[in-house]
Amino acid sequence: MTWVAWRLQRTETLVALLVLALVAVLLVPTGISMADAYRHDGIGSCLSPNPGFACANRIGAFQAQYQTLNFITNWFTLLPGVLGVLLAAPFILDLEHGTYRLAWTQSITRRRWLFVKLGLAVVAVIATNELLSLLIGWWRTPLTHIDGRLDSGTYDTTGIVAIGYGLFALGLALALGALWRRSAVSLTVGFVGYFAVRIIDEYWLRGKLVSPLHAVWHGAQAPGYLASASILSQTVTVNGRVVESNSSSGGVLGAHSQLAAPGSGQHAVFHVTYQPASFFWTLQIRETLLFTAVGAALLLFAAWWTHRRAA
Amino acid sequence: MSDSPVVRTLGLGKRYGASWALRDCTLEIAPGSVTALVGSNGAGKTTLLHLIIGLGRPSAGSVEVLGRSPRDEAENVLRDVGFVAQDHPLYRSLSIAETLDMGRRLNPRWDDAYAHERIGRLGMDPGHRVGRLSGGQQAQIALTLALSKRPQLLVLDEPVASLDPLARREFLGGVLEAVAESGVTVILSSHIVSELERVCDHLITLTDGHTQLEGPIAELLARHRLLIGPRADAASVARVHDVIRESHTERQTTLLVRANGHVYDTCWQQHDVDLEELVLAYMGHNPGASFAAPRPEAVAR
Repeated sequence: MTWVAWRLQRTETLVALLVLALVAVLLVPTGISMADAYRHDGIGSCLSPNPGFACANRIGAFQAQYQTLNFITNWFTLLPGVLGVLLAAPFILDLEHGTYRLAWTQSITRRRWLFVKLGLAVVAVIATNELLSLLIGWWRTPLTHIDGRLDSGTYDTTGIVAIGYGLFALGLALALGALWRRSAVSLTVGFVGYFAVRIIDEYWLRGKLVSPLHAVWHGAQAPGYLASASILSQTVTVNGRVVESNSSSGGVLGAHSQLAAPGSGQHAVFHVTYQPASFFWTLQIRETLLFTAVGAALLLFAAWWTHRRAA
Repeated sequence: MSDSPVVRTLGLGKRYGASWALRDCTLEIAPGSVTALVGSNGAGKTTLLHLIIGLGRPSAGSVEVLGRSPRDEAENVLRDVGFVAQDHPLYRSLSIAETLDMGRRLNPRWDDAYAHERIGRLGMDPGHRVGRLSGGQQAQIALTLALSKRPQLLVLDEPVASLDPLARREFLGGVLEAVAESGVTVILSSHIVSELERVCDHLITLTDGHTQLEGPIAELLARHRLLIGPRADAASVARVHDVIRESHTERQTTLLVRANGHVYDTCWQQHDVDLEELVLAYMGHNPGASFAAPRPEAVAR
């Protein structure tokens, strides 16, 4: 059965590997040159909480040089969704074309067929997504040194969280496919659903996964550890009055430092709610478990529904 | 081979939502028989076959294949049953050789030599992709998959509906050959009656989820007569025989009757009934009528 399931999933797996290969073609040469530039420009030695003017310039130039690529790789957070729905296709095609009737009337039980077929898809999703994460993680190493790992472009595409995303996309497409038995619409709606859930995740859910910390300070200079933290919300009060409030994630309120410039005669207080860089693995593990659990529930629903309803 | 029935259903029914696709179906399929399951589209043929093969679970009654429940003992039953689903679904991206390889891997009693020999005999190249084959060739591949399991029961759901006359002939020829070779019991459904007579020796007709006619074809034909005479009321005939269908022209009356003994009335010309006429008479004109030929083998036991 394993050979049969593999043979019927081969095309989709090869397409998934082709996607990985295309990503590698983009990332491997640029990754090597970026790591070279990082070393060559001595960026590493510039990374202190208070870099000097020359150092700040060098870091700025380095970031500017790779800004476009950085921007492109941020979009790679969609790839777990692509890989997930892609690998759901063999199962849905079986239902759409009626070939499950052929498979279920050989000498194996449908329970075994479901187990092997869905199991193989799960293995492929985990493997391709982790390969992708490792590749992007390697590529991003120099940028991570500067921005930290909680920057959403980095956080989403490195570590293990992409496995959870991929399994969620797989489960969603499978569940829709089991209900509709139409591959094109199931895969499309599955991907759109994945995208919508990821946006909710990014802007709302992640901040709730671990209780955030709070920081309060006076004066222009934000604490250095906030550079690599994920800022959930921030408020500036001047003489007890709120002058600026920002609840979306973003950089530290550097722009407002003039408010607290020495001699301005104003008493500015900065309040920040944030998740520090040290939360990285806690966040990753919780988010991965959450997405995996939902993905697994959807997958089991697809299996149960198909087992019960299909004939 | 024992002579207990290969398939036995008792009050079998299947409901989808509020409507019954099959209702109160009781029948037996004798070993070695080739049974045509005939009915219009939507009469419940596919539902019945799916219950027999274990693809569906009965809503009422029971079904036994080779003495076992096809749903609860799927692994044991499937080994002994070959099935070709409607439109003979196959994996189009696989080659013929890979399709046979799939059969070999999924069936413990697979006869690989037979499978390849049969493909060779049909003049097909194992390297060809299934998706590129003609409908007739695909049907033959599906039949080869089913037969290479070396089943005791072969179930074919509308196997020839989508085929052209030549491919139809070749497919049914393949079924006959397998019957002659291995004595496999066959059930095949069809909404067309022509050509079945050549292949089948038993008949079951289904209308609106009910069985109507059931029995050996020869016996069914022998029990029915076509009476043609001057225009008259059917009442006198109906006193003794069961009138299944009557039609009148200005001068002439035609009756299809299930004869209970001889028809003595000399004003009627008597004719034999052909299978198609018989099936249509039951299906089209008298949905309430039903008849099961007595089972001599049941009496003998």
